[in-house]
Amino acid sequence: MTDTHTRRGLSIRGAQRRYVKETAALAGADLDLEPGRITALLGPSGSGKSTLLRAIAGLERLDGGEIRLGDTLWAGPGRHLAPERRRVGMVFQDYALFPHLDALANVAFGLKGPDAKTIAMAQLEAAELGHKAKAFPHELSGGEQQRVALARALAPAPAIVLLDEPFSGLDRRLRQELRERTVDTLRRAGATALMVTHDADEAMAVADALALMDQGRVIQTGTPEHVWTHPHSVTAARLLGDIEVIEAFIKAGAADTPLGPVATPDFKNGCTVYVLVRPQAIRLTPAADAPFTVTRRRSAGTHLAFTIENAEGQSFTTHTPVPSKLAVGDKVGVELDEAFVTVVGA
Amino acid sequence: MTPARQGGRLPDRATALAILAALVCAAPVFAVAWIAVTGETGDYLAHLARTRLPVYLVNSALVAAIAAGGAGLIGTVLGWLVARTEFPGRALFSWVLILPLAVPAYVAAYAWLDLSQAGGPLHAATAGLFPTVRGAWGAGLMFALVLYPYVYLLARDTFTGQSADAYNAARTLGAGPFSAFARTSLPMARPALAAGLALVIMESLADYGTVSYLGAPTLSIGLVRAWSGAGSLVDAARLSLILVAVALIVFGLERAQRSRARSHAASGRHRPAPRFHLSRTQGLAAALACLIPLALGLIVPLARLGWLALNEQPAPNLLPASWHSLTLAAISAVLAAGLGLSTAYALRGRTFIATASARAAGLGYAVPGAVAAVGVIAILSGTQALIDPAWQSFTGEVFPVLLTGGAAALIFAYLSRFAAAAIGPSEAALARVTPALDGAARTLGATRGETVRRVHWPLIAAGITSAGLLVFVEVLKELPATMILRPFNYDTLAIIAHNYASDERLGEAALPSLLIPLVALLPMIFVARYLSRARSSSGQV
Repeated sequence: MTDTHTRRGLSIRGAQRRYVKETAALAGADLDLEPGRITALLGPSGSGKSTLLRAIAGLERLDGGEIRLGDTLWAGPGRHLAPERRRVGMVFQDYALFPHLDALANVAFGLKGPDAKTIAMAQLEAAELGHKAKAFPHELSGGEQQRVALARALAPAPAIVLLDEPFSGLDRRLRQELRERTVDTLRRAGATALMVTHDADEAMAVADALALMDQGRVIQTGTPEHVWTHPHSVTAARLLGDIEVIEAFIKAGAADTPLGPVATPDFKNGCTVYVLVRPQAIRLTPAADAPFTVTRRRSAGTHLAFTIENAEGQSFTTHTPVPSKLAVGDKVGVELDEAFVTVVGA
Repeated sequence: MTPARQGGRLPDRATALAILAALVCAAPVFAVAWIAVTGETGDYLAHLARTRLPVYLVNSALVAAIAAGGAGLIGTVLGWLVARTEFPGRALFSWVLILPLAVPAYVAAYAWLDLSQAGGPLHAATAGLFPTVRGAWGAGLMFALVLYPYVYLLARDTFTGQSADAYNAARTLGAGPFSAFARTSLPMARPALAAGLALVIMESLADYGTVSYLGAPTLSIGLVRAWSGAGSLVDAARLSLILVAVALIVFGLERAQRSRARSHAASGRHRPAPRFHLSRTQGLAAALACLIPLALGLIVPLARLGWLALNEQPAPNLLPASWHSLTLAAISAVLAAGLGLSTAYALRGRTFIATASARAAGLGYAVPGAVAAVGVIAILSGTQALIDPAWQSFTGEVFPVLLTGGAAALIFAYLSRFAAAAIGPSEAALARVTPALDGAARTLGATRGETVRRVHWPLIAAGITSAGLLVFVEVLKELPATMILRPFNYDTLAIIAHNYASDERLGEAALPSLLIPLVALLPMIFVARYLSRARSSSGQV
């Protein structure tokens, strides 16, 4: 699909949306979607990610800010391009398949012209659902419904594909399989896509770029690796998975933490900072006179989760590769892998 | 998830119509209340209170209690059998059991009194052992036989929709099958059963024909007599207020019960319960259990009246009366469906004014036909009093009397009573069209108008049609409001059936009595099939 639309990026500046008597759903969100890339929008529920998605689709009016595709203004002061004129494809959380139309007619809904059925059939076949063309939505399994919804969104060759928690209704195995299939499909279509999710693993597995959202704002963007290893804030760090947050004081160019000193070249002596430590950062070494004691050992498949505690009663969780001989009650010393440690201002 | 707020023309127009619907439905009640409070006190009501009022009240309570008990038992048992067990003919019974709603209770009463009174075939065949269907218990029984579908429908859908989880959990906690049913399924169905019972009670309190024919005068008899006998609008309005108060109490209790019950509504993924397989004997017993109320409420009365009609010349006024019945019912049905649909659309906008309008329109549901008629009279005479002096000073002529406005006044009263009956189903039909479907259609390039045409209409057409048909059937059966408001010499099928029957000319009453359920049966079949089909295709997507 070498449509000119797909080669233009989407840019959102200062998007605002308020509901009556509620706090702002969007409080000045900025976001750029690069052509042909999949961006995951990650945030806790109520952070405004679905609202942002709906604003891009034109299903929600902005109270302020603007949305443009390339140099076409979609939404801005005094302008609201109707959803049907934006050429976005949207996969809804509950798929929103039309219950009175069969799978083929659902996919053909957005197509016009004599070969609508042919194109729709080709899309269905690409989704390996050609044999279900005449099936009605309630006759399809959850996974099949999701695939029809995606085929329907892609059939009109949209400029942007929006996916609102597209895997939330599915069980875990199916989720994984559909996630890969969806990414393949989007890549083959060369689509510019934005996928809303509240699952950090899913976001990182799927996306070329990650955008973190909280309280109506996009708080950080970047590649999944970069955002994971360099969160800008405690909130950003927590969105991406388990993390220990240690409030510390800087002395002699290093933050003083119970896990040892952490170098802080970007901060002045005397400031208070938050040291963010991923569980993977903590390496345990058994030693009789060490300050920590193992208080809990739990198997988590690919790794072991240990809880350790020092004499002051401060406890931390670590992830250690299997196998490990450590047991509850063992004395351990700790060492920090600084690749998994970030320091942010308090 | 917040639904897309739709700006633009469609919702605004819908809101305007919803306000109109609310005015049409609620105005008569308020007019009644106004007249009752401000009117001069006459002797009639005081006299009534000393003489007949206690009898009216006792009869009303008895009739309503027997109707509710009978309909509750039949409806719950049949609803459970159809929803949770497998037996021969189950799929057919599922919707056929709704059909007795096509039979007006007074028509059933004509047939059953004729069969069971001294000299009737049932009386003769049982050597007088079969009691004569008469009085409060006879009327209550008639209501139970033709109104049980209200309970049955809600019971069937609730038992079908109930997840197996609660029942299974009860079983794992040591309850036997019956105990698990009584402790989980039944209490979970209670809000639905209460809603059905409230409808049964209201319909039996609103009735005029049955209780008048079987000699169990209730409040609505007193109401009609106050107007057509004593000619007192104020006294009629005051009796109306008592009826409305009873209605509000009944529906208030039902609401209170429902809001408490909401907290334990099933959540999460729906896992429908499998149906029990009955043994051969049990299955035949279940089929028989379905057949009995169907025979007593539908087949026997229609057969008896058919037999009587065959032995009698058709009455001369039958044709114009049929024409009036059909046109009144058709016009009311179309208007009610229109008001219902626009109210449902307005509700989608979730604005305060739309919600308030819809609830005000819902008041009409609690208003018996006779009360609506009294309200319409109050409005018309009030309007007349306002217009007359002005008209006379401008034209020097007397303004035409509004009360003889005829069919329009009747339709006003019908809408006031039945538009609410169309709003509920319309709302339910439109609820299938989730905001996400709109979003999907719009993002796929459909304009707002196209979305309505290509997505909304195909999804709601059957629901709106069945709402309209339900109003059609109700208007066809309606008696007291028609009696009070009809223009002079303007007959409907219900009127001539009632008049002949009251004159002990049952032979001549038979054909018009038979025509009402026969005409109502076809629309009722559509409604019944819709209500039985909608269940299986909604909720998946």
